[in-house]
Amino acid sequence: MKEKLEGLLKDALAELAAASTEAGLQELRVKYLGKKGELTAVMKGLGGLTPEERPVIGQVVNTVKGQLEEAFDSRASLIREQVKNERLANERIDVTLPGRRSVTGSKHPITLVTEEICSIFSALGFGVAEGPEIEHDFYNFEALNFPKDHPARDMQDTFFVAENVLLRTHTSPVQVRTMLKQPPPVRIIAPGTVYRCDSDATHSPMFHQVEGLMVDKGITFGDLKGILTLFTSQLFGSDIGVRLRPSFFPFTEPSAEVDIACVICRGKGCRVCKETGWLEILGAGMVDPEVYRHVGYDAEQYTGFAFGMGIERIAMLKYGIADMRLLFENDLRFLKQF
Amino acid sequence: MIVTYNWIKEFVDCDLPAAELSHLLTMLGLEVERMEEVGGGMDDVVVAQVVERNLHPNADKLSLCKVDDGSGGELLSIVCGAQNFKAGDKVALAKIGATLPGDFKIKRSKIRGEESFGMLCSERELALSEESSGIMILPEDFKLGMPLFDALGTKDVIFEIGLTPNRADCLSVVGVAREIAAKLGKKVHYPGLEVNETGAPIASIAQVAINAPDLCPRYTARHITGCTLAPSPTWLANRLRDAGIRSINNIVDVTNYVLLEYGHPLHAFDFKLLSGGKIVVAAAGEGEQFHTLDGQERTLSASDLTIRDGEKAVALAGIMGGGNSEINDATTEVLLESAYFNPSAIRRTSKRLGIHTESSHRFERGTDVAGLTRALDRAAQLIAELSGGKIAKGVIDVYPEPIAPRTIPARLARINAVSGLSLTAAEVQEMFERLEFQVTETEPGVFKVQVPLFRVDLEREIDLVEEVVRLNGFEKVQATLPQASVLSDLPSPQLRLGSRIKDLLVSHGLSEVINYSFVAPTSCEKILLAEDDFRRKGVPLLNPISDELSVMRTTLLPGLLETAVKNINFRTLDLRIFEMRRIYIPSETNDLGLPDEPMCLAALFTGRRDPEGWNQAKGNIDFFDVKGVVESILEELNIGGVNYVADELDPYFHPGKACRVKSGNRELGSFGELHPSVQENYGIDQPLYYLELNFEKLIGCRKDMGSAQVPSRFPSTFRDIAMLLPDTTPAAEILASVKSVKADELEGVELFDLYTGGNIPKGEKSIAIRVRYGSKERTLTDDEVTKLHQRVIATLQKKLNVSFR
Repeated sequence: MKEKLEGLLKDALAELAAASTEAGLQELRVKYLGKKGELTAVMKGLGGLTPEERPVIGQVVNTVKGQLEEAFDSRASLIREQVKNERLANERIDVTLPGRRSVTGSKHPITLVTEEICSIFSALGFGVAEGPEIEHDFYNFEALNFPKDHPARDMQDTFFVAENVLLRTHTSPVQVRTMLKQPPPVRIIAPGTVYRCDSDATHSPMFHQVEGLMVDKGITFGDLKGILTLFTSQLFGSDIGVRLRPSFFPFTEPSAEVDIACVICRGKGCRVCKETGWLEILGAGMVDPEVYRHVGYDAEQYTGFAFGMGIERIAMLKYGIADMRLLFENDLRFLKQF
Repeated sequence: MIVTYNWIKEFVDCDLPAAELSHLLTMLGLEVERMEEVGGGMDDVVVAQVVERNLHPNADKLSLCKVDDGSGGELLSIVCGAQNFKAGDKVALAKIGATLPGDFKIKRSKIRGEESFGMLCSERELALSEESSGIMILPEDFKLGMPLFDALGTKDVIFEIGLTPNRADCLSVVGVAREIAAKLGKKVHYPGLEVNETGAPIASIAQVAINAPDLCPRYTARHITGCTLAPSPTWLANRLRDAGIRSINNIVDVTNYVLLEYGHPLHAFDFKLLSGGKIVVAAAGEGEQFHTLDGQERTLSASDLTIRDGEKAVALAGIMGGGNSEINDATTEVLLESAYFNPSAIRRTSKRLGIHTESSHRFERGTDVAGLTRALDRAAQLIAELSGGKIAKGVIDVYPEPIAPRTIPARLARINAVSGLSLTAAEVQEMFERLEFQVTETEPGVFKVQVPLFRVDLEREIDLVEEVVRLNGFEKVQATLPQASVLSDLPSPQLRLGSRIKDLLVSHGLSEVINYSFVAPTSCEKILLAEDDFRRKGVPLLNPISDELSVMRTTLLPGLLETAVKNINFRTLDLRIFEMRRIYIPSETNDLGLPDEPMCLAALFTGRRDPEGWNQAKGNIDFFDVKGVVESILEELNIGGVNYVADELDPYFHPGKACRVKSGNRELGSFGELHPSVQENYGIDQPLYYLELNFEKLIGCRKDMGSAQVPSRFPSTFRDIAMLLPDTTPAAEILASVKSVKADELEGVELFDLYTGGNIPKGEKSIAIRVRYGSKERTLTDDEVTKLHQRVIATLQKKLNVSFR
């Protein structure tokens, strides 16, 4: 009996060593360990043994069974490993094929720049105000110290809707509306759409501005310079040079144009900055006392500054766009880049 | 405004390099927009002499010359095509290596077999004038070998200054020189003006009367007789040319020259054409016809100021002279006008008649009422010198109420408070003086400042503050950060949510577009709006750029359609675009007559649902893609009680494939497939889907999300139901029926299959739903789920005409 078992073990191990597939292995498992398998058959014969032999042979049976099972398991994992390795050796995809995409959208560059500017000023404690695009002459001109019959009005070619109703030419009327609504201190920016009858590569009849206004006690021209320096460094990088030079706006005095060092040539002079090394990006100044008079603020007690910038101009500089019209052509091949 | 460096130097000592002067002007607020060196960079064009002129052996029309370039070397062989010269003439020679205007490089060349070592130039080739009929013949005394432009003395720098409208005083060479002098701390030297009065007393020749002293406070005149009209000398013509003014004759040119120099417009009349030898300054008759010297017939109004003689209007005051009295070939006697006109009056007339001249430009900005005689004297003397005329004795000066210079109080403390500077009284006083102001310090830190009449822009203390900061230099103001109250004002929900919805749309693959707010009036027809639709009553512009951009939009649809057309033309056939901007609806209630400007959200979809690709799903966008976007917007804003209603649609929708969106009884918008006629009207041959939502109403219906739900820790179980229903039963009813089963364990339901046709009977549809069951306390047993599911099935059976498959 014992010899028979050992022979069985030897045969099984030999066959096992030859098995190379999971199916073959399964067959062998059935052959030796299955319900009708050889080992089972031997175990059935245990009943015919003497009570003395039975525990001895029984132990041998268990040992053989244990050895067989272990051998089967290790063979099985070896084969699984081989199969896996074979699969890994054969499975190959072309990783250069394009991936599966979903449609991607984009915000308009004007929106992106507006949001960026608003978030910079938001962090400085400026609220965001809005006003109508179709505006009354009083808010757009009169209260901003553009008298009727004054050449300053020529600076802004105006679309009219009625005698005193027009498409606002700048976001500055929001200053007036805000100050008429609340007493100082005021700290707002006002992004919005504005209009002028002008259309070429650098002018669009519709464009966008962000206006800023800060009125409080003790605000100086130096503060204006400080805030704008901070702003431009956040928007264009901390090493960008800023320069203020005298200009004229009816609603500020002193008035300044604000230039930044050319972002293209870094101030060396190029085509974009017309060889000057500077790019004009903002108009600014100290709020004119005449404006305070219109909104009922005490000009002796409060001082403040206002500034305004064209979003298109900044978007063009940020993204290297030469022709403003691209921003309004809505060509998706252009817009999808943002 | 154009000035040249040489001209400026006549009034102020300045030897800064041109680039530095340009910077100085810009930093004074006189922005130099263009700087150009004239006559520079051409040192290889020299004065040369033709020694021999021979016929070219191989060409009848060419000469072969020997030319001395003054270098002491060999004579140069040069082929020349001009005929206007002879041996011995001094000529302009462009040597080999010279670069002429237009980037034309002179090289050694062979012309018809003869070598040429340079080129003899015409004025046109050197950009000196349009003259090209022959080469330049230079004066005999020009030094051989000298660079031509040094010999001509025409090297100069042109500065084009972009002046702001307040700086009327800088619309002249003198004005710009004054600014430079103030900045450099120098004095302007006004040349002494001697007028050689050799004629009869002017009172015996001409009379002037002002009938409208409010519009013309001062009128002065001089008389010159015996003038001979001739072309102006080169120096004069060149300066006008540099300033962009065409040379006409020695009288008209002088008035223009003095206008550029002193900034004061002058007018020269042919005195013999002035009836009665007199001038009356008076308003025009209403409807009076007048021929301005540009040949136009103008209809005047009673508010227009005219210069008249005994009978008729002879000039539109301060704007343009009349054809009836202008300087002409027969002119010998000139009446020269230098006057001061009311700026607003000039501007009104100039605007109304649409005439903008160098003269009106200056008068409407304000001229120097005190300095106008200086311009008159300068012009009279120049005319006399250039035309050989005699100046009558004396000046007519009608100035009934002389205008006194303004005195403005200014406080040092205010100057420092506004600017952030820390100037002393002495420093401020010194700056005022440099600006030619008369200053007295009445008490410490308080000034009385008398400003000259040419500074029409200075009226208030703040104007003087600006002068100080400007002259001191903006760069000297320290950048500081304000010491201010803490303020924090969060953006409104509109702004915050607007940005979030844009992000959401972008995540759904939509790209934002920005169309013009004005549209073509015909767009209403193209989107099929009814005759009486309120959207046909958009706000029209009085002065549109074009008819295509003439009405403020009342809907975003036409703009999006135009954008689709443009992109489809570029073969971008798959589009998902949106616009979130205002529309403009006339309001009957606004006090100022302003329209309402609600914010709208609109989107347009067409083409494939997924990007094209080897492994991408195929299929085109349809109604349900759009609905999915609507649903996620509503979900983002927590808007509940939403209904989709398929009636009372806008005319631009397909009547069977669109709906309105409501929350309770509030209309939020609508979406669906566009009407095929709209598609045709825009020439698009693929179905379009459109969505429009009233942004303000969306925000109005929005709810905060409330407390977050804790998900169950036990797994859910799914059960599917397949059923047959009449085609007409809306899906919403099926889902609502399921949800009407009141059981906490019913977690959700999804419609996952819809099928018609095939083996489904006509008029019916097959629908499959998946119901999810679960509990927060434990895992449900199979029995429990089955019981719940039976309730769901029973409810469906009871509520709907349904059979299960």
